[in-house]
Amino acid sequence: MDIDRDEARRIAQLAHLEFDDAGLDRMASEMTKILSYIDQLREVDADAFEEHDVTVTPFRDDEPRPSISREDVARNAPAWRDGLFVVPKVIGGE
Amino acid sequence: MSDLLELPWTEARGQVSPREYVDACLRAIANRNESLNAFLHVNGGAGEGVLPIALKDNIVTTDMPSTCGSRILGDFQSPFDATAAARLRARGASFVGKTNMDEFAMGSSNEHSAFGPARNPWDVSRVPGGSSGGSAAAVAARMVPVALGSETGGSVRQPAALCGVVGLKPTYGRISRSGLVAFASSLDQIGIVTKTVRDCAEVLGIVAGYDPMDSTSSTVTVDDYTADLEAGLKGLRFGIVREALALLEGEVRANFDEAVAVLRGSGAVIEEVSIPTIGYAIAVYYIVANAEASANLSRFDGIRYGHRSERASTLEEVYDDSRGEGFGAEVKRRIMLGTFALSSGYYDAYYGRAQRVRAKLRHEIAEAFRGVDFLITPTTPEPAFPIGAKAEDPLSMYLSDIFTAPANLVGIPAIAVPSGFSKAGLPLSLQIMAPHFEELPLFRAAAGYERETIHWRKLPPGLH
Repeated sequence: MDIDRDEARRIAQLAHLEFDDAGLDRMASEMTKILSYIDQLREVDADAFEEHDVTVTPFRDDEPRPSISREDVARNAPAWRDGLFVVPKVIGGE
Repeated sequence: MSDLLELPWTEARGQVSPREYVDACLRAIANRNESLNAFLHVNGGAGEGVLPIALKDNIVTTDMPSTCGSRILGDFQSPFDATAAARLRARGASFVGKTNMDEFAMGSSNEHSAFGPARNPWDVSRVPGGSSGGSAAAVAARMVPVALGSETGGSVRQPAALCGVVGLKPTYGRISRSGLVAFASSLDQIGIVTKTVRDCAEVLGIVAGYDPMDSTSSTVTVDDYTADLEAGLKGLRFGIVREALALLEGEVRANFDEAVAVLRGSGAVIEEVSIPTIGYAIAVYYIVANAEASANLSRFDGIRYGHRSERASTLEEVYDDSRGEGFGAEVKRRIMLGTFALSSGYYDAYYGRAQRVRAKLRHEIAEAFRGVDFLITPTTPEPAFPIGAKAEDPLSMYLSDIFTAPANLVGIPAIAVPSGFSKAGLPLSLQIMAPHFEELPLFRAAAGYERETIHWRKLPPGLH
């Protein structure tokens, strides 16, 4: 599987990672090399096996319980005001 | 007092006060950390404790920062203790520090730490392994008697092997993952680094067990893991994995043959078993682990905690720039690979196929355990390599985990036990794997081998 700069850019957008063109080229070439190793999985006949055959994770009971406090959340937040996270304006801009 | 730190925890604890024990560790860290960089945080105010312990920096506690070896977490400090940490506290442990690691546990050398690599106490020009390299170096250099690490593909066993100490990856679900920062949730498990098998068995008894905060933690009964340590090797059946044997050469092969001879000489039965798909474990691992990582690491968004880019002016830029600035090269590489493997058009050819091969591997290993009690391989294909040797070649770094990753993919317990030294004086290691939740016999086998060899008494140079 060959990854080129455009494909690397598409994946970077999906992953929300910023790269410059040189960074995209380097990532594309490294991914191509790693995927060529991973492509050996095509040699394995695993058609008799299911994608998900492990035990399903059990659900816990949906009971209310205390959460961490707002003060504790605020302490780690990079931008916080009036008990809320602050983010750039997303509605009614431009 | 340094003699005290040369003893295993279970021997030293009865000979010293909890205050003296912690202070001895803090002094050893002060003396040795500058050359080893094993600790990212030292808890100078650590209270007295019958068990001074170091935690890998992806296991959160309320009294120290948790960076995961990354810049993106900034000065993050958890509002709660990881369940494993809380259980240790309740039993009188004292957290003396947080250990260095490859960023988000992604690496096999510690070179991917944002804070510089930890170094191998046996040769400071070499890597301690990874990702729990700081934990392994800290125990090997007798800075602490016990450290917790974490495993996703060998991140406790591989550094334990390279540093000449004992490293355990328990069965998936044996120890709660609550408070272990998530990398790949179907593979992640907290592990234990100690000098001896007995220390390891006793610590597992403290941290193991069901936790309502982790729905994948198991309700299977927690055994007294020290019960069979003296039971010996007679009659135990060990399977040599034929396909792994074919990959061995040189000193590692000779050392493995010696280990097999020791087991046989102690009355164990040795057989050869075949696990044809085992050679594909790394390829499977790098799809499954990275796919899960790409989802888990989406939580680092520059909004709720951690680093936020100062140049971002839109919401999209907050995400992209904060992550672009905060993550290191290896983490980005893995997020990219994982995102690719899950993306529309490639999902079935990569993620789906990797999961089916993983299921096949699980089937083959279960079949192998019909005929033997344990599977054995060397823990690593080579002893500690020089810092920088694999830095430009991610793939060759990934292959460091070729013998360890299968246990994570299948969920079985596995332990690394020191098995001697290379001609250059670097530690070598035997890996023993057991079926799910068979930690009790696993410790019996490991202790039996350890008693015949006792490599743990040898100290790294400079510590005499």
